[in-house]
Amino acid sequence: MSVLPYAVAAWLFGIGLYGIATSRNFIHLVGCLGVCQSATYVLLLGLGYRWGSIAPIFYDHPPGTPAVDPVMQALVLTDIVVGATLTALLLVLTVQAYKRGGSLDPEKLRPMRAGDKPGQSRGSSQVSDGGRQAS
Amino acid sequence: MSVILPLLFLLTAISGSAVVLVRDPIRQVFAIAINGLVLTILFDALQAPDVALSELAVGSAAVPLLFLVALMAVRTQPPGAEP
Repeated sequence: MSVLPYAVAAWLFGIGLYGIATSRNFIHLVGCLGVCQSATYVLLLGLGYRWGSIAPIFYDHPPGTPAVDPVMQALVLTDIVVGATLTALLLVLTVQAYKRGGSLDPEKLRPMRAGDKPGQSRGSSQVSDGGRQAS
Repeated sequence: MSVILPLLFLLTAISGSAVVLVRDPIRQVFAIAINGLVLTILFDALQAPDVALSELAVGSAAVPLLFLVALMAVRTQPPGAEP
């Protein structure tokens, strides 16, 4: 395999990092993280590929036929599932940050203070009033 | 065969760049789905049909739906409201 898969993987990782660094929206940022992760798919499958080989399924081929590396494909399969889980978790955290902080912009997000917001979300007005007077 | 694989690698780089450079999250959902489709075709060309199947299910159906759900939750929920 030529140098092209490595170059494409490096490009995808670099532009994903650029998107993460310059993003002004948390949902857009999670999408950029997905691009970073697709760089690992391309890198792993590019490592395992061999020219002129078959897929590692020997149902209609005799055993011993040159095939691409099935270990890399198992790794990529695990990577895809973990990536989907990570995307779901980060989107839930984004929605929670929007509910608490009031914005999706990382620049406008307020820092969390101890005992301020959780008392409010618990619904008891006395606790939140006490917290406000104390602060 | 030796032409279509570099072409698919370049297409992957272009569609990944499109996901990053589309700044509106609602339009980015479509870019993510197209990126998943391009990755599916690339994996199939790289002799990985099982990975291509799971990428088709996850990358171009499940993850864009997750993004749509998150966008809907953000849009319908006013900031600071009780969950």
